[in-house]
Amino acid sequence: MGATVEQYLGQLDTSRRPDLPETTTGTLRLDVRDDGSTDHWYLTVADQQVRVTRSADDAELVVRADREVFDRMARGELHPGAGLLRNELTVQGNMRLLMLLRRIFAGPDGARHPRELGRAALVGQGATTARDERR
Amino acid sequence: MHVIAGNLFAIGDAQGDIEADPRAPVGLFAYDTRFLSHWVLRIDGERVNALSRDDLTYFETRFFLVPGAASHYVDADVSIIRHRSVHDCFHENITVLNHSSQPAEYTVRVEMASDFTDVVEVGQLRRRAVDVTADSTNQQLVLRYQRDRFVRETTVRSTFPAEVDEQGMTFRVRIAPDGVWETDLHVSVTMGGEDGRDLRADLRPHQQTVRTGMREDLVRWLDRAPRLVAERRGLEELYQSTLTDLAALRYRPLSYRERVPIGGLPWAMGLCGRDALITCLQTMAFTPELAPATLRMLALMQGGQLDDALDEEPGKILAQLRYGETGAFSDRASALYYGAADTTPLFVVLLDEYERWSGDADLIRELRHPARMALDWIDEYGDLTGDGYLGYQRRNERDGAINQCWKDSPDAIVDARGRQPAFPRATCELQGYAYDAKRRGARLAREFWGDPAYADRLEREAEALKDRFNRDFWLPHREYYALALDPYGEPVDALASNMGHLLWSGIVADDRAEAVAEHLVGPRLFSGWGVRTFAEGQRTYNPVGTHLGAVWPSDNALIAAGLRRYRLDEQAARIAGGIFDMAQTIGSSAPGVIAGYDRALTTYPVQLTTSCRPQAWSSGGMLMLLGTMLGLRPTGDNLLVNPAVPEGFGRLELLDIPGRWGHSDAYARDRTTERRHRLR
Repeated sequence: MGATVEQYLGQLDTSRRPDLPETTTGTLRLDVRDDGSTDHWYLTVADQQVRVTRSADDAELVVRADREVFDRMARGELHPGAGLLRNELTVQGNMRLLMLLRRIFAGPDGARHPRELGRAALVGQGATTARDERR
Repeated sequence: MHVIAGNLFAIGDAQGDIEADPRAPVGLFAYDTRFLSHWVLRIDGERVNALSRDDLTYFETRFFLVPGAASHYVDADVSIIRHRSVHDCFHENITVLNHSSQPAEYTVRVEMASDFTDVVEVGQLRRRAVDVTADSTNQQLVLRYQRDRFVRETTVRSTFPAEVDEQGMTFRVRIAPDGVWETDLHVSVTMGGEDGRDLRADLRPHQQTVRTGMREDLVRWLDRAPRLVAERRGLEELYQSTLTDLAALRYRPLSYRERVPIGGLPWAMGLCGRDALITCLQTMAFTPELAPATLRMLALMQGGQLDDALDEEPGKILAQLRYGETGAFSDRASALYYGAADTTPLFVVLLDEYERWSGDADLIRELRHPARMALDWIDEYGDLTGDGYLGYQRRNERDGAINQCWKDSPDAIVDARGRQPAFPRATCELQGYAYDAKRRGARLAREFWGDPAYADRLEREAEALKDRFNRDFWLPHREYYALALDPYGEPVDALASNMGHLLWSGIVADDRAEAVAEHLVGPRLFSGWGVRTFAEGQRTYNPVGTHLGAVWPSDNALIAAGLRRYRLDEQAARIAGGIFDMAQTIGSSAPGVIAGYDRALTTYPVQLTTSCRPQAWSSGGMLMLLGTMLGLRPTGDNLLVNPAVPEGFGRLELLDIPGRWGHSDAYARDRTTERRHRLR
């Protein structure tokens, strides 16, 4: 993928997203820092939809970080919670909204569905299994 | 000696001194980081020795000290009182009393240092470059550690003028005859946020002041819990200290306003999804306020993406949340980790159970979406091989959890001959939790979410799972359930405590419950104090093996509740009696785990050093056992009381049990006293 946060938010699917709780509403402002300048992205979450605009208005949660950090979050390589603990991003306001970014942004590339492991185990049956090795 | 306030805690020696020890977590810890590793008081160069100690509350201790070692008191003319407390920071008041009729001069020194070790690294210390700033003008010492933007800082301030150097503070004091000198040392801990401000300062929930009257808070906590009146000696005291432990083991996560239970002192001072859920289930009749806070917090942190490093999947409920350096940088398991196969069904079980007790229908509607995602997770992500069983296999092969059930040590899941099954593994108790979650989810869908079709589907799936389970896991020749199935459907034939949880979940076929119970209280599993995790006589049985022979009060509490569910009251009472005997023999906080030795052999319960004490689900387990003896169960808008009290307990009264009925009382007596009363 290799998308940047701009590309990602610029093309964000604004239709209904069933993975967002229907009861969650709120506004988030992302302050993307880049060599002295700051870009503002404004996300409005309601009715399982995310609306994206460019605005520096007040929001219930303001998230600040370098562009590179937002890029990694947008690609799912950095969990917003881990970014916060590493102090790579700073937040102000209603922290509950921060976790929404995990769902709004993509997941990491190459992640496996647990069933892939299950299928691999069944394919491996008959070949040497961990169980047989110990016999 | 420890003082705790949520996940900030201090552990020192009997004098109140702190000296780092690679074998033990000694120091001032907050958010999984050691902020003080050295804190030693000297008077005129001499160490101090404790005459007595007064543990005022779990967050406050007073030490009465004199200079010198115990063998030779240097000077009886001077004594020192050290009064220590913690809330969001650490305070120590040092008072020096001159008992002589002459004025006296003393040099009081406190040595201070920090290594900023992550609590998971205690034991294999890593040297960190710590910046020290000694600032005599402002009477403060600042210890600071930085890695990239990750900053942890300890600031010590004194109210009395100090000579500050990089190793501590020195006070040169002159005290009048029978006079007193004192200083307050205030230690604040900072997690670096923007411009060096504390991370927590910018977070709204944390501004809602942490420190408002902890004493009053404890009194109110105890007041809200039911009152126990017990004939058996020591039981009321044990009850009181159990409630106090649970109060101490609550903390406010960064993102959150309300307090949730943490795992236990000292190894698990963070949010563990499993421990928190089980603790809430255990304490429903006593401290129900833990449940909604825990449910909301876990819903907030619910998995949203597929991520191999975090073992995360959409809908999965968190296994662990840690704040330390190794977590933040994924040096070891990451700050957020989802590798647990049981947390997600248990989330649904707790949600339903909480409504049954509280009648809080709004919460059920508020958490419909996360509950639905959790139920979907069971089949979509929890069933790895398509055999219809909930299992696990880590995708983070570097430091993910090998066993993702409550028996989470790497070698816990083995067959009777000690062989480890292949992955994915489906342990038996997980199937019970999944069955229970589906049945309870069906009730929620029908009664609160207006979705009868979904309720029907869940019920059909639950019944199918129960049939399948009783066919595939039952070992007819041995008359017990297999510990697990391997991916090829082969049973792992070990005899273990896990099947007690099956009774608790209700997945056991009625005509098999008695056979299961006989194993649980039989000589191979039952030690006399409680049910062993793993039965004697199997190859890897080890009485001090955490999950291969040791006895856990929390495990036993669920087992006893399960036995009563199937009306196996006598067996339940045996277990409850054994665990209470154990806790009362040890005194105060129930340990997380004891060795599996025969009670007759050791006559005293042997504690394991790896154990947490206090531990939330162990304290919770004691309360659950009490509730199980009384047979407390909500039915509609009433509280049903159906006692089965072990012999030797005499009369028991639990007054003002909170719930949808308002407050209700439960009365019970054991059978021997019943007889006594009849004979009169």
